[in-house]
Amino acid sequence: MSDPILSLNKATVTFGGVRALDDLSFDVNRQEIVGVIGPNGAGKTTLFNSLVGLQKLRSGTITLDGVVVSDRKPHQIAALGMTKTFQNTSLFPDMDVLGNVTTAGLLHHPLAEARDKAADILDRMRLTPIARAGIDALTFPQRALIEMARAMATNPRVLLLDEVMAALTPSEMDEVMETARQLRADGLTILVVEHHMRAIMSLCDRIVVVSFGRKIAEGTPDQIAADPAVIEAYLGSSAKEKEVQHA
Amino acid sequence: MRLKPTGILLLVLFVVAVLLPLGLDPRGNWLRVMGTVMIFAAAAQAWNIMGGLANQVSLGHAAFFGIGAYVSTLLYINFGISPWIGMLIGALVAAGAGALICLPTLRLTGHYFALATLAFAEVCRVIANSWSSVTGGPVGLTIPFAGDAPMLFQFRSTVPYYYIILALLVVVSLVFWRIQVGAFGYRLRALRETPEAASVVGVNVFRTKMIATMISAALTALCGTVFVQFTFFFDPDSVFSLTTISIRLAMIAIVGGLGTLIGPIIGALFLLPLEEVAITLLSSQASGVAQLAFGVVLIAAILIEPRGLVALGPWIMRRLKGGQPSAPSDMTAKGETNV
Repeated sequence: MSDPILSLNKATVTFGGVRALDDLSFDVNRQEIVGVIGPNGAGKTTLFNSLVGLQKLRSGTITLDGVVVSDRKPHQIAALGMTKTFQNTSLFPDMDVLGNVTTAGLLHHPLAEARDKAADILDRMRLTPIARAGIDALTFPQRALIEMARAMATNPRVLLLDEVMAALTPSEMDEVMETARQLRADGLTILVVEHHMRAIMSLCDRIVVVSFGRKIAEGTPDQIAADPAVIEAYLGSSAKEKEVQHA
Repeated sequence: MRLKPTGILLLVLFVVAVLLPLGLDPRGNWLRVMGTVMIFAAAAQAWNIMGGLANQVSLGHAAFFGIGAYVSTLLYINFGISPWIGMLIGALVAAGAGALICLPTLRLTGHYFALATLAFAEVCRVIANSWSSVTGGPVGLTIPFAGDAPMLFQFRSTVPYYYIILALLVVVSLVFWRIQVGAFGYRLRALRETPEAASVVGVNVFRTKMIATMISAALTALCGTVFVQFTFFFDPDSVFSLTTISIRLAMIAIVGGLGTLIGPIIGALFLLPLEEVAITLLSSQASGVAQLAFGVVLIAAILIEPRGLVALGPWIMRRLKGGQPSAPSDMTAKGETNV
C-alpha cells in the first residue's frame, strides 16, 4: 500500500529557456529506497537541489509528509527532516571530521549533545579513526562517507544521496549500500542519484528515470531494465545489455 | 587543564600589559601608543567575528566605530549622559545599523560585500560632515574636559584610560573566544566557504551572518567610544575614515591571523608600533617615505606568511626545539580550531 512521505507535483525549474525540470511528478513512500537515474544533464542534481530548497521551482509543488516545502528555505526543510549530500562533496574545510558532523547535529541539539551524537554516528559508520582528521587529508570515498554522516546528524526522515558511490571500490560500495539498508530499517526514506547501475539495481525498491527534466519511466529495477524508453534514452541498447547482465 | 602555546602566549601578553604602565612614563608617548594598539586590537578582534569567522570581509567598520564615537559624545555634550551609558547606547545603535546594512548586503559575498560596506561607511562620513547642526560637521567635536571624573569617563592621567582599554580588549577577546568555541562559531565556520552545505544541514545562513554582524558592530562601536574618550577630539574624517579605521582593522586581523583569537592582538602589536616607528624615523625625509616603508614591510609580511603572523608560531616552536622545519607557509594546522 502506498504511503507517500515525499511528493513532487508538476515540479518545473527553468534556467533561461532550458527546462531543467519539466512537470516532474512522482511519489516516494515511507521507508522506501528510490533511485533517480538519467543521462548527464537530465536534471537529477537540479531535482535534489529543488527538494532541499537550494533551487526554487518555477511552478509545481514539493510536499514532505503533507507539508508544502517548495516555498521553504534549505534550513527550514532540514528542520522538517529532509537533507542531502553533495555530488562533489561540500564539507566544511575549516573543521575536522567531527566538527563537520557536529555542526549538523546542532540543528536539534546543544553543542555537547551534538558532539556526542556526531561521535556516535562516526562510530557506527566505522569512521572514528579519522574523526580528528582535517578535510584536506581525506580521500574522496572518505569524504563521501563523511557527507553521509553529516547528513545523518540532522535526524532526517528523508535522505537524498547524490552520487555518494562515485569513486568507491566495490567493497566500499557494498558497505555504503549496507549502511543505506540499515538506515531504511531504522525508519529512513532514501532517494539516490547514482551512475553505478549495479548499485542502483541492487539497492533500490523503485527507480525513476528522468531525461531532459521529464520522467520517462518509473518502476521496479526489473521493470526499468526492460523498459524500451529507458533503453533508448538512457542506457543505449548495447550498453543496456551489458549493464543488465552485470546487474 | 593544559594550556596550548597560544594560550600561554596570551596569558604572558596580558601580564606584560598589566605591568607595562609601571615601566613607562605615565605622561609619555609610548603609553598612549600602547593604548592605541589595544584599542585597535580590540576593534580588529570585533571585525574578526565577521571577517575572520564568517568570511564577510567588511571595509566599512569605520561606520560602526564612528557611530559609537558620535552617539556617546553627542549624548554627553547635549544631554549630560555619561559616556559609560552612552557607549552602551552607541553599541545598540551600531548593532541596529549593522542589522540594517545586512538586509541589502548579506546576500553579497567577496568583493561585492566589501564594496557595499565601504559605501555604507562613506555615506556615514558624508552625513556626519554635512549635518553640522548635530555633528559639528567637518570642524569635529571636542569632549569638554571635566577633570578627574571617573563617572564621566575622564581622567587626568593616561594610566586609567590604559587599563580601561585593556579591559575592553579582554572583554572583546572573550566574546570572540566564546563565539569561536561555541555552537555559533561552528555555524559561522560552516557558512564561511560552503554556505549551501551549511544551509542544507540546518544553518540559517542569513540569520547567523546578521547576528555576527550585529555583535561585531556593537563591539566596534564600544571601541569607537573609548577611542574618542581617549583622544578628546575627533571629526568625521578621522572616525569614519576608510584608511585609518576600516582598512586598518582589516589589515590588523589579516596580518595577524584571520579567524584566530590571538591574530588581531599580534597584528596590532606588529603594525601600529611599526607605523609609529616609520613615522618617527622617516617623517623628516621626503613626503610619503614613512608610508612607503610601512607599506613595504606590510607586503613583505603578507608574502612571507599569507595566513598571518600567528601561523609562524608552530614554525618558531620547531626552531626552538631544534627540529628541521619546513618553510612557514608550508605548515598547516588543519583539523583544529585555530586559536
